[in-house]
Amino acid sequence: MAIIIDENTETIVQGITGKNASLHTKFMLEYGTKVIAGVTPGKGGQEVEGLPVYDTVNECLMEHPDVTVSSIWVPPQFAMDAILEAIETGIKTIIVITERIPIHDMLYVRQRSKQRGVTVIGGNTPGVISPGKSLIGMLPKIAFQPGRIGTVARSGAVTYYVANSLNLAGFGESTSVGLGGDPILGANFEDILRLFEKDSETDAVVMAGEIGGVYEEMAAPYIRRMSKPVIAYITGRAAPQGKRLGHAGAIIEGSMGTAQSKIDALKSNGAIIVETLSEIPHLVKEALKNQ
Amino acid sequence: MRLYEHEAKALFRRYGIPVPKGVAVDKHSFNVLAQVAYPVMIKAQVFLGGRGQAGLIQSAHDRNEAEQKIRQMLGKYHGQFPVRKVLIEEKIDIKKEFYVAATIDRFQHKPLIIVSEHGGMEIEEIAKDKPFSILKYYFNPFEKVLPFQTRNIAYALNLRQQHMQRTSEIFVALYNLFLELDCKLTEINPLVLTGKDRFLALDAKVDLDEDAMFRHPELKDLGFVARHEIGEMTDYEKIAKVAGIPYVDMDGDIGVFPGGAGFGIAAVDLIAHYGGKPANFMDSGGAPTPEKLRTMLGLLLENPRVKAIFGARFGGISRCDDWAKAVVQYVLENEPKKPMIMRMAGNMEEEGRRILEQAKQDHPQLFENIRIYAYDTPIEEVIKETIRIAKGI
Repeated sequence: MAIIIDENTETIVQGITGKNASLHTKFMLEYGTKVIAGVTPGKGGQEVEGLPVYDTVNECLMEHPDVTVSSIWVPPQFAMDAILEAIETGIKTIIVITERIPIHDMLYVRQRSKQRGVTVIGGNTPGVISPGKSLIGMLPKIAFQPGRIGTVARSGAVTYYVANSLNLAGFGESTSVGLGGDPILGANFEDILRLFEKDSETDAVVMAGEIGGVYEEMAAPYIRRMSKPVIAYITGRAAPQGKRLGHAGAIIEGSMGTAQSKIDALKSNGAIIVETLSEIPHLVKEALKNQ
Repeated sequence: MRLYEHEAKALFRRYGIPVPKGVAVDKHSFNVLAQVAYPVMIKAQVFLGGRGQAGLIQSAHDRNEAEQKIRQMLGKYHGQFPVRKVLIEEKIDIKKEFYVAATIDRFQHKPLIIVSEHGGMEIEEIAKDKPFSILKYYFNPFEKVLPFQTRNIAYALNLRQQHMQRTSEIFVALYNLFLELDCKLTEINPLVLTGKDRFLALDAKVDLDEDAMFRHPELKDLGFVARHEIGEMTDYEKIAKVAGIPYVDMDGDIGVFPGGAGFGIAAVDLIAHYGGKPANFMDSGGAPTPEKLRTMLGLLLENPRVKAIFGARFGGISRCDDWAKAVVQYVLENEPKKPMIMRMAGNMEEEGRRILEQAKQDHPQLFENIRIYAYDTPIEEVIKETIRIAKGI
């Protein structure tokens, strides 16, 4: 199994003719990912890395009906349009690499994706990898090894360092998911934890969060209900403190968003807190022994 | 991006939200004080709340008093914010104060309108003192608010007849501004009922979504450009800002040259955890250009406080070869003496490694103090080594 993507997943690349998208299409193909085609409006009929390019997702799916996952690489001003095109055309999972998408656009994307039962990951995600099976996004393959630990993180590089630190200790990953660094995200920690909890190839989950936002706190109550151990790495304890500005969000979010608030919420719900990357494999080992 | 009160009020006027008559004054424009009708209120233009208690909101009865009080205010600090401008406004006779805001609930992922009939104090205070007076009305993303909805909100605030009509129109206008200009927050606190039975936005807050500025060229035309919102910038922060690099000065001696923001935050934590002192936070953003990387390095190497540099590149969308090229070019051009302890792994690593090895061979003395580790050295070992070197151990 693995979550979200595996060796059978057929996927397309929206915005494939862009510089980064075409380079990473090459990397994805080299990894063995079943990238079937690309879409760039106005560039239908071209080829990128030997793959056909279509003008619309609809036309692409007519030719390749088994595609279930798309990744989005278009500039932020076109991102909502591209994501909604994928949602309306019947794509089931959308991995949004594009960063800095306007907040109101993402609120709308979230609403539509929930209505349609579509999983949106990102924006500003490095992507998703089920090591040895499939890689969608721009994650460096060297950071990951096949194994039985699920990982989910907000930041790209932290995703790589967490896996790196597991691998150096002999562990590997069932799937690693980058949630993305934008303020409003599609999938959040809880969504991904739910998938790992059900996955027969995942024994434990490492989650890496950071200051800002409320996604870590929101996931905490679900961790209490999980049968698998969750090891949590929260960064931002030593971050320079900006002046907190009084604003209306404060009465909704309260004191949430600080590293301490996240650590407290996760700890009190049974997550195992680590302070450094190198502690992660030790505490994973211990947690698995105690299972 | 937060706007100053006088900027937010200019937007309010455009949207038909009534505001007091007023004009912004800085040290070059005292002459406008001749055209103002007295008495007036003088309000320092800073982002932080609590201006009243800090003496940064004052009244003046004539031009002399106004000029004297403005001179005292300009250059003063409120928290870390220097006062560079004041807003001169007609003095308003206040009968009642309300709170109204449009913002985003990040739990529900929905926009909402928040109101209270106890305006005038900070919303956190209202939440503490009069929690039941705070009412929230949720809307769907991009959905316009209709007048009947805001009439119901006004009704809930015990406003009737003409008062209901007028506040309802203000709420619609405020929400339209929130939606149309891609705001994270629009707030009127207080919205006042005056002695002359008018409603006026006495204060104004607007926080724009910087990531949506591309579809609002009109805001740039108004002079609303990116700004630092957490106080006075240091010299290095100013240079970084111009170069488009998120950068915050800290008081340590280890320069942090990370990849993106996420690992930048982690690196600062890890350095502190192992007993070192980070000199800065910074963020390269995704796929930085070699010029940007060179500027980032320059910021650290030129800073006399920095004794050693910790660098890391885990190439995802940012490529190792681009990173290596930037580092090599910087070293060749600037011949830095400070030790640089770094690690490079990820996409295009082989190419990056080749570039570094070649440069080392060609200029061994320039690369004497530069170590660049690979995938098999844990990042924390690189951090510990940097700390040892910075401490001279």
